[in-house]
Amino acid sequence: MVSIYSKPVTIKSLSYRNALLQSMSNALSQHSHVIIMGQGVDDHKGTFGSTLGLAEKYGKMRVFDIPLSEEGNTGMAVGAALNGVYPIQTHIRTDFSLLAMSQIVNMAAKYKYMYGGHFNVPMLIRLIIGRSWGQGAQHSQSLQSLFAHIPGLQVIMPSNAYSIMSSYDYAVNHYKGPVISFEHRILYDIEFNENVVYDADPFNSKKVREGSDVTIVATSIMVIEALRAADYVQKTLNLNCEIIDLHSVSHMDKKLILDSVKKTGKLFVADTSWQAYGVAAEISRLICEEDPSILKAAVVSIGMQPAPCPTTQSLEKLFYPSIYDFISKLTFLITGKTHIPDENKISEGYKKFKGPF
Amino acid sequence: MNFNSNYEELFYQSLRIRMIEEKIAEIYPTDKIQSPVHLSIGQEAVAVGVCHHLKKTDLIYSSYRSHAYFLAKGGDLKAMLAELFGKYDGSGKGKAGSMHLADKSIGMMGSSAIVASTISHGVGSAFASKLLKKEQVVVTTFGDGATEEGSYHESLNLASVFSLPVIFICENNGLAIHSNESQRHAYTIHQHAASYNIKTTYIKEGYDFELIADAMYNIIQDVRENKRPHFVEIKTYRYREHVGIADDHNVPYRSQNEYETWKKMDPLILDQKMVTAFKSEISREIDAAVEFAELSPYPPASELLNDVY
Repeated sequence: MVSIYSKPVTIKSLSYRNALLQSMSNALSQHSHVIIMGQGVDDHKGTFGSTLGLAEKYGKMRVFDIPLSEEGNTGMAVGAALNGVYPIQTHIRTDFSLLAMSQIVNMAAKYKYMYGGHFNVPMLIRLIIGRSWGQGAQHSQSLQSLFAHIPGLQVIMPSNAYSIMSSYDYAVNHYKGPVISFEHRILYDIEFNENVVYDADPFNSKKVREGSDVTIVATSIMVIEALRAADYVQKTLNLNCEIIDLHSVSHMDKKLILDSVKKTGKLFVADTSWQAYGVAAEISRLICEEDPSILKAAVVSIGMQPAPCPTTQSLEKLFYPSIYDFISKLTFLITGKTHIPDENKISEGYKKFKGPF
Repeated sequence: MNFNSNYEELFYQSLRIRMIEEKIAEIYPTDKIQSPVHLSIGQEAVAVGVCHHLKKTDLIYSSYRSHAYFLAKGGDLKAMLAELFGKYDGSGKGKAGSMHLADKSIGMMGSSAIVASTISHGVGSAFASKLLKKEQVVVTTFGDGATEEGSYHESLNLASVFSLPVIFICENNGLAIHSNESQRHAYTIHQHAASYNIKTTYIKEGYDFELIADAMYNIIQDVRENKRPHFVEIKTYRYREHVGIADDHNVPYRSQNEYETWKKMDPLILDQKMVTAFKSEISREIDAAVEFAELSPYPPASELLNDVY
């Protein structure tokens, strides 16, 4: 994707949740044609705080609760977008968007192409990955690969507060098509302290750490896990990881990934979802088709176990990759030797989570 | 074209659509049109009556059986035929075909091959019209089969809950491909629609373009002024097979008698005086449009990946 967008943003300590609230508020205040529609967007919880108080401020015509009609609601958003409104639709669980699949896949993704380029469907669908304790099989899924498979959708996974601010600003102000954004529930409570000024395309993949021993491509909260793992292996084994925050699953920066793997010779993919037909598979396809000779070792990937998510904590902790798995697989890829990490603490975000919603 | 009466004008438009559809049926076996066609023959009066009092700025959504609506809303015949021929001058640059006719400049906002999928679009566009104070009425048209889909019910509820200026047009031809309404419905469409607290109108004379246009005049005015939905069920009859060009009354899923009954009420058959008066003029227009479609180039290879986000 080519973009002339350039809007440097400097953020000092901002939580993912507040970045969401601020970006929603900015969109509503900057444009009278922006609406937010979704289950509970105007209630006392305000979509985990990301839409709190906005209905009162901007009115019930612009921030409103909707009947539980996912397909109809998404069609309503498409129709509104076709007539001059910018709809932001929320699903408090990604899983619910499956009920709207026909509108997303058959209609929104195809509207521009199918009618010969004469129509645009600018809209943002916010999907929240519900992973936290005990969310079970239908409240926790990471379905990015399903959407990224479809030409016509921009599928992003903002991994930090800055990414939310810049990506949503870009979606509302510049991008003409449907954007599917995955927000990881556990990220909401994390504070980000960034003083980095970016001027790249906000939907682009980003290099978030320079290194020479391995390329880690990560999505969403796995970027945070990758940073922890990279810190650990640097401190204890003096290994240097390069980390790419993939961000756009549908429109990944292929050159950034290829150049990095060319440099490091090793690829480690950390995704929030199942591995089959997923992000790691797609990045492996990229390398295999472009130049498999740049790999000095077999690709390693981590993701969820190939089962529906179990609810009980005893199985759930086996279902998701732990930081222990991450580090041990990573060090084996880089050094070819087994290393038993003493790091097995769960991430800050997981510790903070107090259920159930 | 000057007309002496409303009847003449509506007759002309209906006849024009029928003759275009018949021309498409004539060309179809040559394989010049490689796109499944769902002909509107028998149902022209509905589209003409529905669109007659709409403004150019009013919007309409339709289904895969949309040739009649595209034309009745003011769509360009040349662009439509070029589209059916898969040509670059088509309304969708050849990427759309018969099932995806649209033209933003006349408010024809889309037609879709997924049953019931554009009903909610009408609701959403009506929401935008209300929020942005555009004073548009939005029409969304669909068949009786679409009323079995969940999103149809969701859309009626949404339109009523948010009180939106949308007109639902159910073109009830009694058939979903080859299955009869009685096999599929435990409800009566317009009665059930009324349970969503929406005003409803039932018109059983789907061949009578004047009656439909008159009813629509009042409905459009009410919806525009009062910003509330209206539901219209219009009984009509599909003369040809579901998709394709054949008369399939030889297949016993429907009766020849029913067909004969509808034909006996069809002004385009009954009023041969009018047909004679308009026929040659319409033929000339159609022949020119067919020639245009034939001569138009196919889209260049560069179009394959153009228009993808």
